[in-house]
Amino acid sequence: MNTHADTRTHTIDTNTPVISADDYDTAAFYSDPGAIAVVTNTTPPNAVALPSPQASTAELLAAAQEAGRRAVPAPFAETALVARPLLRRAGLPVPEGPISYAIAPELTIRYTHPSDSAVGSAGSSGDDDSLLVTGTLRRVPWARTATTVVVLATAPFGPVLFTVTPDQAHLAPGANLAEEPRDDLHLAALEVPAAQVRRIPRELLEEAELRAALARAALIAGAAERCVELTTAHTGTRAQFGRPLSHFQAVKQEQARLIEETALVRAAVQAAATPLDTGGRPARFAVAAAKTQASASVAEIARIAHQLHGAIGITQLNPLHHATTRLWSWRDEDGDEATWAVRLARSVTADTLWPALTTAP
Amino acid sequence: MSPSTLSPIAFPDVALPESARQLRTEVRAFLDEERARGTVLGRPDSWLAGWDRDFSHRLAEHGWVAMALPTQYGGAGRGFLERYVVIEELLAAGAPVSAHWVSDRQAGPSILQHGTEEQRRFFLPRIAAGQCFFSIGMSEKSSGSDLASVGTRAERTAGGWRLTGTKMWTGGAHVNDYAIVLARTEEAQDRHAGLSQFIVDLRAPGVRIEPIRLMSGEHRFNAFHLEGVEVPDDMLLGQQGDGWQQVTGELAFERSGPERYLSTFPLLVSLLRELEQRTATAEQLTQIGILTARLHSVRRLSLGVAAALDAGASPDTQAALVKDLGTRLEGTLIDTVRSVLPTPADPHATPGSHAELLAFALLHSPGYTLRGGTNEILRGIITRGLEQNR
Repeated sequence: MNTHADTRTHTIDTNTPVISADDYDTAAFYSDPGAIAVVTNTTPPNAVALPSPQASTAELLAAAQEAGRRAVPAPFAETALVARPLLRRAGLPVPEGPISYAIAPELTIRYTHPSDSAVGSAGSSGDDDSLLVTGTLRRVPWARTATTVVVLATAPFGPVLFTVTPDQAHLAPGANLAEEPRDDLHLAALEVPAAQVRRIPRELLEEAELRAALARAALIAGAAERCVELTTAHTGTRAQFGRPLSHFQAVKQEQARLIEETALVRAAVQAAATPLDTGGRPARFAVAAAKTQASASVAEIARIAHQLHGAIGITQLNPLHHATTRLWSWRDEDGDEATWAVRLARSVTADTLWPALTTAP
Repeated sequence: MSPSTLSPIAFPDVALPESARQLRTEVRAFLDEERARGTVLGRPDSWLAGWDRDFSHRLAEHGWVAMALPTQYGGAGRGFLERYVVIEELLAAGAPVSAHWVSDRQAGPSILQHGTEEQRRFFLPRIAAGQCFFSIGMSEKSSGSDLASVGTRAERTAGGWRLTGTKMWTGGAHVNDYAIVLARTEEAQDRHAGLSQFIVDLRAPGVRIEPIRLMSGEHRFNAFHLEGVEVPDDMLLGQQGDGWQQVTGELAFERSGPERYLSTFPLLVSLLRELEQRTATAEQLTQIGILTARLHSVRRLSLGVAAALDAGASPDTQAALVKDLGTRLEGTLIDTVRSVLPTPADPHATPGSHAELLAFALLHSPGYTLRGGTNEILRGIITRGLEQNR
């Protein structure tokens, strides 16, 4: 990601001051409506640049990990790894700024302009693809600050991707454990013009789920790495009984496990980059494994990081909470470990398990 | 990317060469033939317990023993990643690979690296042909993880050395041909100095092999008594006094391979076969999925170490990390299998049945986290690696 950060950075907004992930005051930050624009191309280490649209999946994943590590207060992974590629795949223009997404099969969708010679129930066919959409997009990441929300749903004609802007909806603010915005968007018979609607193959719907899960896994990998950094820094400096914590055998043992679990998550995320591009069964396997592993590792990573931080870690005095509250949130978002584990297990049999494990690399 | 605390244990990205894919297909075809022959039984821990000289020999005929050795010494001259593919296929299938295991993994590479030209010419072609089998003579009664404390002595004689002492946990000494023995050649202030390695003929006078039975009753390990064994000068391996460096240099090879997470893999396959007879519950699927994800992730890390070794690096910290994660996973796998499908482990059930495989895997399980350095010691290596790179 270095090369892209230096040369082909896509800028969202460079006017807004950048707030270091270490320094920002969460509450004050979110009260500033312009603050979302911190995803900029300004000099590291204070920001994480959005990679260029031409960046490879591996580069996007590395960038998303970095965003997770810095607890970047913006829908970085959502924009780079999910919304933009989906818009491109669907053939819709990619707007500037932060973009969010919602996979919402439960929406009620009809044609806005039913055709005169409709066959079947009212609204089951139309004279164009303009849609009337009713229902709620639940817990949309960063909806309040997104310029656009990419919605994947099921229309009368099958799977559909369309875009809405937050001002077209009634927004009920919400947040996850880390106080990251997770807003409900209520849509009341909203008319979505045909120009913003694309019929999509079922595979793209599935790709959306895979992208969302993998983006979340990459964020988890980054936040896990942050836990390692903060923990080793703490145990290396904090002295008890006359020596640094890191000199105690018991501390070493736990710290090694923390490092290992983090390495495991990173490896799982890294392993999904190539399969995601090729798609099909290998992509389903690798992404399911990545999100299962990332979510399943969170408990151990957060537990050890907090245990080794002692009492300071349970306060806002220490930045650890930025990482751990995100980890706890992200493990449940876009499918928790049980959801993905079941999908993973269903995809293998006694005869196909080993071939599946060795498909890639 | 900005510097991160994890960089000392960063793992390279892996892309297996096309030749490795081709090789995998060939090995799978070979394994199918061997299954038909009745030699590949899908048993756990086959790198410890699956001893079959003929199987090793047939494998060698395909060029798949000591395959990373150069062609001039009878090897296949292939890379670590290709070797990796072959051994992971063998282990996942539960093939009987223990006869040539140590020769392939340690003795061959060690003789190539440290041996004299004469030793290379004598041993390596025999190893690659699957006709010369080695044991490791490192551990002793009071020297396990603290290997530098070995008490076996080598005293100078007219034409060589006289070795006296007792090695423990010498796998296969009763059936193999040679052992590489770590012995003290010099009293030194620094315990890591004054150690040397010797190639000892297991049929030599003064060698006495005494079984140490596993709790399953199996005879795999031995106490290996060296009662004044005469070892000629030309069987000193490497430089006198360099034994410690030589031994620790082998550890990345020993610690990171697929054997460190695949010992119990055949049991998981057996579980999946059992579950195919019934409708699996969501809870069963969840546990299997979590285990599968972990296997997938550990394999990726293990491959990362192979890639680093292939590139000529010495990823000792990474190897320790893989071994701790992998061997713990082997234990977790057994626990998960039990919990997904409660089955009383039964060593007397039909060989190959789920209950028998479970019993076998379970009885072997305490060894997983001991052999090759205990996990507690490995974790110390991991944190030290982190500190040294700070």
